[in-house]
Amino acid sequence: MAGIAFNSAQGATVWAVFQGLLLEALPFLLIGVSIATLGRAWDPRGRWLQRLPNHPLLGPLSGAALGFALPACECGNVPVARRLLAVGAPLGSALGFLFAAPVLNPIVLLATWAAFPDRPWLLLLRPFGSLLIALVLAALLQLLPEAALLSQDLLAERRLNQPLASASLLERRGGQLGAAAPPPMALAPPPPWAELLDHGLREFLELGALLLMGSAIAALLQTLIPRDVFLSLGQAPTLSVLSLMLLALVVSVCSSVDAFLALGFADQVTPGALLAFLLLGPVIDLKSLSLFGRLFQPRAILLVVAAVSLTVLLIGQWLNLVLL
Amino acid sequence: MSWLPPLALGFWGVVLLQAWASGRLNLLLRADFHGLVLGAGLALLLLALASLRWRPQRRSRLIPWTALLMLWAALVVLATPPRPSLSTLAANRSASDLGASPLSFLSPPEQRSLTDWVRLLRNQPDPALYGGEPVRVSGFVLAVPGQAPELARLLVRCCLADATPVGLAVRWPPGRPWPQPDQWLKVSGVMGVEQHQGAARSVLLAQQLIQIPEPARPLEP
Repeated sequence: MAGIAFNSAQGATVWAVFQGLLLEALPFLLIGVSIATLGRAWDPRGRWLQRLPNHPLLGPLSGAALGFALPACECGNVPVARRLLAVGAPLGSALGFLFAAPVLNPIVLLATWAAFPDRPWLLLLRPFGSLLIALVLAALLQLLPEAALLSQDLLAERRLNQPLASASLLERRGGQLGAAAPPPMALAPPPPWAELLDHGLREFLELGALLLMGSAIAALLQTLIPRDVFLSLGQAPTLSVLSLMLLALVVSVCSSVDAFLALGFADQVTPGALLAFLLLGPVIDLKSLSLFGRLFQPRAILLVVAAVSLTVLLIGQWLNLVLL
Repeated sequence: MSWLPPLALGFWGVVLLQAWASGRLNLLLRADFHGLVLGAGLALLLLALASLRWRPQRRSRLIPWTALLMLWAALVVLATPPRPSLSTLAANRSASDLGASPLSFLSPPEQRSLTDWVRLLRNQPDPALYGGEPVRVSGFVLAVPGQAPELARLLVRCCLADATPVGLAVRWPPGRPWPQPDQWLKVSGVMGVEQHQGAARSVLLAQQLIQIPEPARPLEP
Protein backbone atom coordinates (compact mmCIF):
# COMPACT_ATOMS: atom_id res chain seq x y z
CA MET A 1 0.00 0.00 0.00
CA ALA A 2 3.05 2.27 0.27
CA GLY A 3 2.77 3.10 -3.40
CA ILE A 4 -0.75 4.44 -3.02
CA ALA A 5 -0.38 6.37 0.21
CA PHE A 6 -2.92 9.18 0.39
CA ASN A 7 -1.62 12.74 0.70
CA SER A 8 -3.19 16.16 0.52
CA ALA A 9 -2.32 16.62 -3.17
CA GLN A 10 -4.08 13.36 -3.95
CA GLY A 11 -7.05 14.37 -1.79
CA ALA A 12 -7.37 17.64 -3.72
CA THR A 13 -7.09 15.74 -7.00
CA VAL A 14 -9.76 13.19 -6.00
CA TRP A 15 -12.07 16.07 -5.13
CA ALA A 16 -11.49 17.75 -8.51
CA VAL A 17 -11.94 14.51 -10.50
CA PHE A 18 -15.13 13.82 -8.53
CA GLN A 19 -16.49 17.24 -9.47
CA GLY A 20 -15.48 16.75 -13.09
CA LEU A 21 -17.28 13.42 -13.32
CA LEU A 22 -20.36 14.74 -11.56
CA LEU A 23 -20.74 18.01 -13.45
CA GLU A 24 -20.32 16.17 -16.74
CA ALA A 25 -22.88 13.49 -15.86
CA LEU A 26 -25.62 15.62 -14.26
CA PRO A 27 -26.79 17.28 -17.51
CA PHE A 28 -27.09 13.84 -19.15
CA LEU A 29 -28.99 12.54 -16.14
CA LEU A 30 -31.35 15.50 -16.41
CA ILE A 31 -31.88 14.79 -20.12
CA GLY A 32 -32.68 11.15 -19.33
CA VAL A 33 -35.11 12.03 -16.53
CA SER A 34 -36.74 14.66 -18.80
CA ILE A 35 -37.26 12.13 -21.60
CA ALA A 36 -38.76 9.68 -19.11
CA THR A 37 -41.02 12.36 -17.61
CA LEU A 38 -42.18 13.60 -21.01
CA GLY A 39 -42.92 10.00 -21.96
CA ARG A 40 -45.04 9.78 -18.82
CA ALA A 41 -46.96 12.87 -19.88
CA TRP A 42 -47.44 11.70 -23.46
CA ASP A 43 -48.44 8.15 -22.66
CA PRO A 44 -49.25 7.92 -18.92
CA ARG A 45 -50.25 4.27 -18.98
CA GLY A 46 -47.54 3.26 -21.42
CA ARG A 47 -49.96 1.74 -23.92
CA TRP A 48 -47.56 2.32 -26.81
CA LEU A 49 -44.56 1.02 -24.96
CA GLN A 50 -46.44 -2.10 -23.89
CA ARG A 51 -46.84 -2.90 -27.59
CA LEU A 52 -43.11 -3.33 -28.10
CA PRO A 53 -42.38 -6.93 -29.13
CA ASN A 54 -42.20 -9.55 -26.41
CA HIS A 55 -40.23 -11.95 -28.62
CA PRO A 56 -36.93 -13.19 -27.11
CA LEU A 57 -34.97 -11.84 -30.09
CA LEU A 58 -37.17 -9.04 -31.44
CA GLY A 59 -37.74 -7.61 -27.95
CA PRO A 60 -34.10 -6.71 -27.20
CA LEU A 61 -33.56 -5.70 -30.84
CA SER A 62 -36.48 -3.27 -30.73
CA GLY A 63 -35.21 -1.88 -27.41
CA ALA A 64 -31.72 -1.46 -28.87
CA ALA A 65 -33.20 0.31 -31.89
CA LEU A 66 -34.82 2.84 -29.55
CA GLY A 67 -31.29 4.12 -28.93
CA PHE A 68 -31.38 5.78 -32.35
CA ALA A 69 -34.50 7.70 -31.35
CA LEU A 70 -33.43 8.54 -27.80
CA PRO A 71 -29.69 9.13 -27.93
CA ALA A 72 -28.37 9.11 -24.37
CA CYS A 73 -25.24 7.87 -22.69
CA GLU A 74 -25.35 5.36 -19.86
CA CYS A 75 -26.33 7.93 -17.19
CA GLY A 76 -29.21 9.28 -19.23
CA ASN A 77 -30.63 5.98 -20.34
CA VAL A 78 -31.13 4.50 -16.84
CA PRO A 79 -34.16 6.73 -16.07
CA VAL A 80 -35.56 6.04 -19.55
CA ALA A 81 -35.12 2.28 -19.08
CA ARG A 82 -36.72 2.58 -15.65
CA ARG A 83 -39.70 4.31 -17.25
CA LEU A 84 -39.97 1.51 -19.84
CA LEU A 85 -39.99 -1.08 -17.07
CA ALA A 86 -42.39 0.90 -14.88
CA VAL A 87 -45.06 1.22 -17.57
CA GLY A 88 -45.00 -2.50 -18.19
CA ALA A 89 -43.04 -2.58 -21.46
CA PRO A 90 -41.80 -6.10 -22.30
CA LEU A 91 -38.76 -6.94 -20.20
CA GLY A 92 -36.63 -7.86 -23.24
CA SER A 93 -37.24 -4.50 -24.94
CA ALA A 94 -36.42 -2.51 -21.81
CA LEU A 95 -33.25 -4.51 -21.16
CA GLY A 96 -32.21 -4.26 -24.82
CA PHE A 97 -32.54 -0.50 -24.56
CA LEU A 98 -30.67 -0.32 -21.25
CA PHE A 99 -27.67 -2.32 -22.40
CA ALA A 100 -27.36 -1.47 -26.10
CA ALA A 101 -28.62 2.10 -26.45
CA PRO A 102 -25.49 3.71 -24.91
CA VAL A 103 -23.57 2.46 -27.98
CA LEU A 104 -26.28 2.08 -30.63
CA ASN A 105 -27.02 5.74 -31.02
CA PRO A 106 -25.85 8.16 -33.68
CA ILE A 107 -23.73 10.30 -31.35
CA VAL A 108 -21.63 7.41 -30.05
CA LEU A 109 -21.24 5.77 -33.46
CA LEU A 110 -20.13 9.07 -35.01
CA ALA A 111 -17.67 9.66 -32.15
CA THR A 112 -16.21 6.17 -32.66
CA TRP A 113 -15.82 6.82 -36.36
CA ALA A 114 -14.22 10.22 -35.69
CA ALA A 115 -11.71 8.67 -33.26
CA PHE A 116 -10.88 5.55 -35.28
CA PRO A 117 -11.42 6.20 -39.00
CA ASP A 118 -8.47 3.89 -39.75
CA ARG A 119 -9.89 0.87 -37.89
CA PRO A 120 -12.97 -0.22 -39.87
CA TRP A 121 -13.21 -3.46 -37.88
CA LEU A 122 -13.80 -1.43 -34.73
CA LEU A 123 -16.58 0.61 -36.34
CA LEU A 124 -18.30 -2.66 -37.23
CA LEU A 125 -17.57 -4.71 -34.12
CA ARG A 126 -18.49 -2.08 -31.53
CA PRO A 127 -22.21 -1.88 -32.47
CA PHE A 128 -22.46 -5.61 -33.21
CA GLY A 129 -20.66 -6.53 -30.00
CA SER A 130 -22.90 -4.20 -28.06
CA LEU A 131 -25.98 -5.79 -29.61
CA LEU A 132 -24.69 -9.26 -28.78
CA ILE A 133 -24.11 -8.24 -25.15
CA ALA A 134 -27.63 -6.83 -24.93
CA LEU A 135 -29.09 -10.06 -26.34
CA VAL A 136 -27.09 -12.22 -23.93
CA LEU A 137 -27.95 -10.10 -20.90
CA ALA A 138 -31.63 -9.83 -21.84
CA ALA A 139 -31.90 -13.59 -22.36
CA LEU A 140 -30.14 -14.31 -19.08
CA LEU A 141 -32.00 -11.81 -16.92
CA GLN A 142 -35.36 -12.95 -18.30
CA LEU A 143 -34.67 -16.37 -16.77
CA LEU A 144 -35.18 -14.73 -13.37
CA PRO A 145 -38.67 -14.09 -12.06
CA GLU A 146 -39.42 -10.36 -12.12
CA ALA A 147 -39.61 -10.29 -8.32
CA ALA A 148 -36.01 -11.50 -8.12
CA LEU A 149 -34.83 -9.16 -10.86
CA LEU A 150 -36.40 -5.75 -10.33
CA SER A 151 -36.10 -3.47 -7.32
CA GLN A 152 -39.16 -3.52 -5.08
CA ASP A 153 -40.33 0.02 -5.91
CA LEU A 154 -39.98 -0.54 -9.62
CA LEU A 155 -41.73 -3.89 -9.43
CA ALA A 156 -44.69 -2.35 -7.58
CA GLU A 157 -44.97 0.38 -10.20
CA ARG A 158 -44.70 -2.13 -13.03
CA ARG A 159 -47.40 -4.36 -11.55
CA LEU A 160 -49.82 -1.43 -11.49
CA ASN A 161 -49.36 -0.85 -15.20
CA GLN A 162 -49.20 -4.39 -16.46
CA PRO A 163 -52.37 -5.87 -17.96
CA LEU A 164 -54.39 -7.99 -15.56
CA ALA A 165 -53.40 -11.04 -17.58
CA SER A 166 -49.81 -10.54 -16.42
CA ALA A 167 -50.27 -9.28 -12.88
CA SER A 168 -53.28 -10.04 -10.72
CA LEU A 169 -54.93 -7.55 -8.39
CA LEU A 170 -53.30 -9.27 -5.43
CA GLU A 171 -49.86 -8.63 -6.92
CA ARG A 172 -50.60 -4.93 -7.31
CA ARG A 173 -49.22 -3.59 -4.09
CA GLY A 174 -50.62 -0.11 -3.63
CA GLY A 175 -53.17 -0.65 -6.40
CA GLN A 176 -56.90 -1.05 -6.07
CA LEU A 177 -56.43 -3.42 -3.12
CA GLY A 178 -55.02 -1.87 0.01
CA ALA A 179 -54.33 1.49 -1.53
CA ALA A 180 -54.30 4.53 0.72
CA ALA A 181 -57.34 6.77 0.43
CA PRO A 182 -56.67 9.71 -1.89
CA PRO A 183 -56.25 13.06 -0.10
CA PRO A 184 -59.22 15.44 -0.26
CA MET A 185 -59.34 17.63 -3.33
CA ALA A 186 -57.98 21.14 -2.91
CA LEU A 187 -60.29 24.03 -3.76
CA ALA A 188 -58.05 25.19 -6.62
CA PRO A 189 -56.43 22.04 -8.00
CA PRO A 190 -52.84 22.42 -9.17
CA PRO A 191 -52.14 22.04 -12.88
CA PRO A 192 -51.89 18.41 -14.02
CA TRP A 193 -48.21 18.75 -14.81
CA ALA A 194 -47.40 19.56 -11.16
CA GLU A 195 -47.55 15.86 -10.38
CA LEU A 196 -45.30 15.05 -13.35
CA LEU A 197 -42.83 17.69 -12.23
CA ASP A 198 -42.83 16.32 -8.70
CA HIS A 199 -42.23 12.81 -9.99
CA GLY A 200 -39.38 13.91 -12.26
CA LEU A 201 -37.80 15.93 -9.46
CA ARG A 202 -37.77 12.99 -7.10
CA GLU A 203 -36.45 10.66 -9.79
CA PHE A 204 -33.59 13.09 -10.45
CA LEU A 205 -32.73 13.36 -6.76
CA GLU A 206 -32.73 9.60 -6.19
CA LEU A 207 -30.57 8.87 -9.22
CA GLY A 208 -28.39 11.89 -8.44
CA ALA A 209 -27.68 10.57 -4.94
CA LEU A 210 -26.53 7.26 -6.43
CA LEU A 211 -24.46 9.14 -9.02
CA LEU A 212 -22.72 11.01 -6.19
CA MET A 213 -21.57 7.75 -4.66
CA GLY A 214 -20.49 6.19 -7.97
CA SER A 215 -18.52 9.31 -8.96
CA ALA A 216 -16.80 9.43 -5.57
CA ILE A 217 -15.64 5.80 -5.82
CA ALA A 218 -14.50 6.26 -9.44
CA ALA A 219 -12.56 9.44 -8.59
CA LEU A 220 -10.89 7.79 -5.61
CA LEU A 221 -9.82 4.67 -7.49
CA GLN A 222 -8.57 6.39 -10.61
CA THR A 223 -6.47 8.84 -8.61
CA LEU A 224 -4.96 6.19 -6.37
CA ILE A 225 -4.30 3.48 -8.97
CA PRO A 226 -1.84 4.56 -11.68
CA ARG A 227 -3.28 4.08 -15.15
CA ASP A 228 -0.04 2.35 -16.14
CA VAL A 229 -1.09 -0.55 -13.91
CA PHE A 230 -3.84 -1.23 -16.45
CA LEU A 231 -1.82 -0.44 -19.56
CA SER A 232 1.37 -2.28 -18.58
CA LEU A 233 -0.31 -5.56 -19.47
CA GLY A 234 -1.15 -4.14 -22.88
CA GLN A 235 0.42 -6.77 -25.11
CA ALA A 236 -0.54 -9.98 -23.29
CA PRO A 237 -3.65 -11.23 -25.12
CA THR A 238 -5.84 -12.24 -22.17
CA LEU A 239 -4.43 -9.98 -19.47
CA SER A 240 -4.68 -6.95 -21.74
CA VAL A 241 -8.40 -7.59 -22.24
CA LEU A 242 -8.94 -8.03 -18.51
CA SER A 243 -6.93 -4.96 -17.57
CA LEU A 244 -8.71 -2.71 -20.07
CA MET A 245 -12.05 -4.02 -18.79
CA LEU A 246 -10.99 -2.95 -15.30
CA LEU A 247 -9.90 0.41 -16.64
CA ALA A 248 -13.32 0.94 -18.28
CA LEU A 249 -14.98 0.07 -14.99
CA VAL A 250 -12.89 2.55 -13.02
CA VAL A 251 -12.60 5.48 -15.44
CA SER A 252 -16.41 5.78 -15.79
CA VAL A 253 -16.43 8.21 -18.71
CA CYS A 254 -19.52 8.78 -20.80
CA SER A 255 -19.97 6.49 -23.82
CA SER A 256 -20.16 9.48 -26.16
CA VAL A 257 -16.50 10.34 -25.49
CA ASP A 258 -14.87 7.06 -24.45
CA ALA A 259 -13.59 6.46 -28.00
CA PHE A 260 -11.51 9.65 -27.80
CA LEU A 261 -10.09 8.52 -24.48
CA ALA A 262 -9.26 5.10 -25.97
CA LEU A 263 -7.47 6.83 -28.84
CA GLY A 264 -4.83 7.90 -26.32
CA PHE A 265 -3.71 4.33 -25.62
CA ALA A 266 -5.00 2.42 -28.66
CA ASP A 267 -1.50 1.67 -29.95
CA GLN A 268 -0.31 0.34 -26.59
CA VAL A 269 -2.91 -2.41 -26.24
CA THR A 270 -4.16 -5.42 -28.20
CA PRO A 271 -7.16 -4.98 -30.55
CA GLY A 272 -9.26 -7.24 -28.31
CA ALA A 273 -8.47 -5.10 -25.28
CA LEU A 274 -9.39 -1.92 -27.17
CA LEU A 275 -12.73 -3.39 -28.21
CA ALA A 276 -13.34 -4.71 -24.68
CA PHE A 277 -12.80 -1.19 -23.28
CA LEU A 278 -15.32 0.25 -25.73
CA LEU A 279 -17.88 -2.52 -25.11
CA LEU A 280 -17.78 -2.83 -21.34
CA GLY A 281 -17.74 0.85 -20.31
CA PRO A 282 -21.14 1.71 -21.82
CA VAL A 283 -22.81 -1.23 -20.04
CA ILE A 284 -21.19 -1.09 -16.61
CA ASP A 285 -18.86 1.26 -14.81
CA LEU A 286 -18.69 2.42 -11.22
CA LYS A 287 -20.94 5.38 -12.01
CA SER A 288 -23.68 3.45 -13.82
CA LEU A 289 -23.53 0.49 -11.44
CA SER A 290 -24.63 2.80 -8.65
CA LEU A 291 -27.59 3.87 -10.80
CA PHE A 292 -28.56 0.24 -11.45
CA GLY A 293 -29.60 0.11 -7.77
CA ARG A 294 -32.80 1.91 -8.85
CA LEU A 295 -33.61 -0.83 -11.35
CA PHE A 296 -32.41 -4.18 -10.11
CA GLN A 297 -32.06 -6.30 -7.00
CA PRO A 298 -28.42 -6.57 -5.78
CA ARG A 299 -28.15 -10.20 -6.92
CA ALA A 300 -29.36 -9.27 -10.39
CA ILE A 301 -26.70 -6.53 -10.56
CA LEU A 302 -24.05 -9.12 -9.70
CA LEU A 303 -25.40 -11.34 -12.46
CA VAL A 304 -25.20 -8.44 -14.94
CA VAL A 305 -21.59 -7.76 -13.93
CA ALA A 306 -20.59 -11.41 -14.24
CA ALA A 307 -22.38 -12.00 -17.53
CA VAL A 308 -21.22 -8.85 -19.28
CA SER A 309 -17.64 -9.37 -18.08
CA LEU A 310 -17.55 -12.91 -19.41
CA THR A 311 -19.15 -11.95 -22.72
CA VAL A 312 -16.77 -9.05 -23.26
CA LEU A 313 -13.77 -11.18 -22.30
CA LEU A 314 -14.78 -13.82 -24.85
CA ILE A 315 -15.32 -11.21 -27.58
CA GLY A 316 -11.94 -9.62 -26.82
CA GLN A 317 -10.21 -13.00 -26.82
CA TRP A 318 -11.83 -13.96 -30.10
CA LEU A 319 -10.70 -10.73 -31.74
CA ASN A 320 -7.15 -11.19 -30.48
CA LEU A 321 -7.13 -14.71 -31.93
CA VAL A 322 -8.27 -13.40 -35.31
CA LEU A 323 -6.11 -10.29 -35.56
CA LEU A 324 -2.91 -11.13 -33.68
CA MET B 1 -40.31 18.98 4.72
CA SER B 2 -42.01 19.13 1.31
CA TRP B 3 -39.74 22.07 0.44
CA LEU B 4 -36.59 19.97 0.84
CA PRO B 5 -36.57 18.20 -2.57
CA PRO B 6 -37.13 21.43 -4.59
CA LEU B 7 -34.48 23.14 -2.44
CA ALA B 8 -31.96 20.37 -3.14
CA LEU B 9 -32.75 20.54 -6.86
CA GLY B 10 -32.46 24.33 -6.86
CA PHE B 11 -29.09 24.23 -5.14
CA TRP B 12 -27.76 21.87 -7.79
CA GLY B 13 -28.97 24.39 -10.37
CA VAL B 14 -26.98 27.04 -8.50
CA VAL B 15 -23.92 24.74 -8.38
CA LEU B 16 -23.96 24.28 -12.15
CA LEU B 17 -24.55 27.96 -12.86
CA GLN B 18 -21.84 29.01 -10.41
CA ALA B 19 -19.40 26.54 -11.97
CA TRP B 20 -20.13 28.03 -15.38
CA ALA B 21 -19.99 31.68 -14.28
CA SER B 22 -16.91 31.41 -12.06
CA GLY B 23 -14.75 29.63 -14.63
CA ARG B 24 -14.61 26.50 -12.46
CA LEU B 25 -15.68 24.47 -15.48
CA ASN B 26 -12.49 25.47 -17.27
CA LEU B 27 -10.62 23.29 -14.82
CA LEU B 28 -13.05 20.38 -14.93
CA LEU B 29 -14.58 19.94 -18.37
CA ARG B 30 -13.77 20.39 -22.02
CA ALA B 31 -15.29 23.61 -23.37
CA ASP B 32 -17.70 21.67 -25.64
CA PHE B 33 -19.67 20.67 -22.53
CA HIS B 34 -19.90 24.08 -20.89
CA GLY B 35 -23.10 25.07 -22.70
CA LEU B 36 -24.71 21.83 -21.63
CA VAL B 37 -23.88 22.52 -17.98
CA LEU B 38 -25.25 26.08 -18.27
CA GLY B 39 -28.50 24.80 -19.81
CA ALA B 40 -28.86 22.09 -17.17
CA GLY B 41 -28.23 24.62 -14.37
CA LEU B 42 -30.92 26.97 -15.69
CA ALA B 43 -33.35 24.08 -16.18
CA LEU B 44 -32.79 22.75 -12.65
CA LEU B 45 -33.31 26.17 -11.11
CA LEU B 46 -36.51 26.80 -13.08
CA LEU B 47 -37.85 23.33 -12.28
CA ALA B 48 -37.14 23.86 -8.58
CA LEU B 49 -38.96 27.21 -8.59
CA ALA B 50 -41.91 25.70 -10.48
CA SER B 51 -42.03 22.82 -8.04
CA LEU B 52 -42.14 25.21 -5.06
CA ARG B 53 -44.88 27.29 -6.70
CA TRP B 54 -47.15 24.48 -7.83
CA ARG B 55 -47.54 21.65 -5.33
CA PRO B 56 -49.09 18.43 -6.62
CA GLN B 57 -52.16 16.93 -4.94
CA ARG B 58 -50.43 13.59 -4.57
CA ARG B 59 -46.70 13.50 -3.96
CA SER B 60 -44.46 10.78 -5.32
CA ARG B 61 -42.61 8.78 -2.70
CA LEU B 62 -38.96 9.72 -2.18
CA ILE B 63 -36.27 7.72 -0.42
CA PRO B 64 -35.94 9.97 2.66
CA TRP B 65 -32.18 10.48 2.79
CA THR B 66 -31.68 11.30 -0.89
CA ALA B 67 -32.90 14.91 -0.81
CA LEU B 68 -30.86 15.60 2.32
CA LEU B 69 -27.73 14.00 0.84
CA MET B 70 -28.13 15.91 -2.43
CA LEU B 71 -28.64 19.21 -0.59
CA TRP B 72 -25.61 18.61 1.61
CA ALA B 73 -23.46 17.59 -1.37
CA ALA B 74 -24.53 20.66 -3.35
CA LEU B 75 -23.53 22.95 -0.48
CA VAL B 76 -20.16 21.23 -0.06
CA VAL B 77 -19.40 21.36 -3.80
CA LEU B 78 -20.44 25.01 -3.89
CA ALA B 79 -18.24 25.91 -0.93
CA THR B 80 -15.18 23.88 -1.92
CA PRO B 81 -13.77 24.72 -5.35
CA PRO B 82 -11.48 22.14 -6.94
CA ARG B 83 -7.75 22.76 -6.60
CA PRO B 84 -6.19 19.67 -8.13
CA SER B 85 -2.50 19.03 -8.28
CA LEU B 86 -2.07 18.68 -12.04
CA SER B 87 1.32 17.08 -11.47
CA THR B 88 -0.22 14.42 -9.20
CA LEU B 89 -2.97 13.81 -11.71
CA ALA B 90 -0.54 13.58 -14.63
CA ALA B 91 1.83 11.29 -12.73
CA ASN B 92 -0.90 8.66 -12.66
CA ARG B 93 -1.65 8.83 -16.36
CA SER B 94 0.27 7.61 -19.39
CA ALA B 95 1.43 10.24 -21.82
CA SER B 96 -1.24 10.91 -24.39
CA ASP B 97 -0.96 9.64 -27.94
CA LEU B 98 -1.71 12.69 -30.02
CA GLY B 99 -2.68 10.58 -32.99
CA ALA B 100 -2.62 11.91 -36.53
CA SER B 101 -3.88 15.39 -35.62
CA PRO B 102 -2.93 18.15 -38.02
CA LEU B 103 0.38 19.81 -37.24
CA SER B 104 1.01 23.52 -37.00
CA PHE B 105 3.73 23.37 -39.61
CA LEU B 106 3.15 26.92 -40.70
CA SER B 107 3.63 28.43 -37.26
CA PRO B 108 7.09 29.88 -36.77
CA PRO B 109 8.92 27.93 -34.03
CA GLU B 110 8.61 30.67 -31.42
CA GLN B 111 4.82 30.74 -31.88
CA ARG B 112 4.30 27.00 -31.36
CA SER B 113 2.53 25.96 -28.17
CA LEU B 114 3.87 23.18 -25.98
CA THR B 115 1.29 20.80 -27.49
CA ASP B 116 2.35 21.82 -31.02
CA TRP B 117 5.96 21.00 -30.16
CA VAL B 118 5.12 17.61 -28.64
CA ARG B 119 2.96 16.76 -31.64
CA LEU B 120 5.74 17.78 -34.03
CA LEU B 121 8.39 15.79 -32.14
CA ARG B 122 6.23 12.66 -32.12
CA ASN B 123 5.39 12.88 -35.80
CA GLN B 124 8.93 13.73 -36.93
CA PRO B 125 11.19 12.74 -34.08
CA ASP B 126 14.54 13.47 -35.78
CA PRO B 127 16.13 15.94 -33.29
CA ALA B 128 18.48 17.31 -35.94
CA LEU B 129 15.53 19.01 -37.64
CA TYR B 130 14.89 21.37 -34.75
CA GLY B 131 18.35 22.09 -33.27
CA GLY B 132 18.75 25.80 -32.48
CA GLU B 133 15.11 26.76 -33.14
CA PRO B 134 13.72 29.30 -30.67
CA VAL B 135 11.07 28.04 -28.24
CA ARG B 136 8.59 30.01 -26.12
CA VAL B 137 6.09 27.79 -24.35
CA SER B 138 4.13 27.71 -21.11
CA GLY B 139 2.98 24.82 -18.96
CA PHE B 140 3.12 23.34 -15.50
CA VAL B 141 6.09 21.55 -14.00
CA LEU B 142 5.61 17.79 -14.07
CA ALA B 143 7.83 15.73 -11.79
CA VAL B 144 9.38 12.70 -13.52
CA PRO B 145 10.79 10.07 -11.14
CA GLY B 146 14.59 9.83 -11.42
CA GLN B 147 14.83 12.51 -14.08
CA ALA B 148 14.61 16.26 -14.51
CA PRO B 149 11.04 17.55 -14.41
CA GLU B 150 9.27 18.21 -17.69
CA LEU B 151 7.09 21.10 -18.77
CA ALA B 152 3.63 19.72 -19.45
CA ARG B 153 0.00 20.40 -20.34
CA LEU B 154 -3.06 18.24 -19.80
CA LEU B 155 -5.24 17.23 -22.74
CA VAL B 156 -8.88 16.55 -22.04
CA ARG B 157 -11.44 14.82 -24.23
CA CYS B 158 -14.33 15.01 -21.81
CA CYS B 159 -13.57 15.87 -18.18
CA LEU B 160 -10.69 15.83 -15.74
CA ALA B 161 -11.22 12.09 -15.32
CA ASP B 162 -9.75 11.39 -18.76
CA ALA B 163 -7.04 14.07 -18.73
CA THR B 164 -3.72 12.83 -20.10
CA PRO B 165 -0.42 14.70 -20.01
CA VAL B 166 1.84 15.79 -22.84
CA GLY B 167 5.30 16.74 -21.65
CA LEU B 168 8.39 18.34 -23.17
CA ALA B 169 11.85 17.37 -21.90
CA VAL B 170 13.64 20.43 -20.50
CA ARG B 171 17.27 21.02 -19.53
CA TRP B 172 16.80 23.56 -16.73
CA PRO B 173 19.29 26.44 -16.33
CA PRO B 174 22.38 25.15 -14.52
CA GLY B 175 23.23 26.28 -11.00
CA ARG B 176 19.61 26.68 -9.94
CA PRO B 177 17.33 24.19 -8.24
CA TRP B 178 14.69 22.55 -10.38
CA PRO B 179 11.29 24.27 -10.17
CA GLN B 180 8.62 22.81 -7.91
CA PRO B 181 5.95 20.50 -9.38
CA ASP B 182 2.67 22.24 -10.30
CA GLN B 183 4.36 25.63 -10.78
CA TRP B 184 3.19 27.34 -13.97
CA LEU B 185 6.09 28.67 -16.01
CA LYS B 186 6.72 30.48 -19.25
CA VAL B 187 9.98 29.08 -20.59
CA SER B 188 12.09 30.64 -23.33
CA GLY B 189 15.09 28.94 -24.87
CA VAL B 190 16.20 26.95 -27.88
CA MET B 191 15.68 23.39 -28.95
CA GLY B 192 18.72 21.18 -28.46
CA VAL B 193 19.72 17.54 -28.68
CA GLU B 194 20.65 15.20 -25.82
CA GLN B 195 21.32 11.51 -25.39
CA HIS B 196 18.54 9.78 -23.51
CA GLN B 197 18.49 6.02 -22.85
CA GLY B 198 20.93 5.44 -25.69
CA ALA B 199 19.14 7.54 -28.30
CA ALA B 200 19.21 11.17 -29.34
CA ARG B 201 16.16 13.22 -28.44
CA SER B 202 15.07 16.83 -28.60
CA VAL B 203 15.26 18.82 -25.39
CA LEU B 204 14.30 22.37 -24.59
CA LEU B 205 17.41 24.22 -23.39
CA ALA B 206 15.77 26.69 -21.03
CA GLN B 207 17.35 30.13 -20.86
CA GLN B 208 14.65 32.19 -19.15
CA LEU B 209 11.96 31.07 -16.70
CA ILE B 210 9.08 33.31 -15.74
CA GLN B 211 6.61 32.15 -13.12
CA ILE B 212 3.05 32.81 -14.34
CA PRO B 213 -0.37 32.38 -12.71
CA GLU B 214 -2.40 29.32 -13.65
CA PRO B 215 -4.11 30.17 -16.96
CA ALA B 216 -7.88 30.61 -17.06
CA ARG B 217 -8.11 27.52 -19.26
CA PRO B 218 -5.42 25.14 -17.97
CA LEU B 219 -6.75 22.15 -19.95
CA GLU B 220 -6.26 21.82 -23.69
CA PRO B 221 -8.60 20.02 -26.09
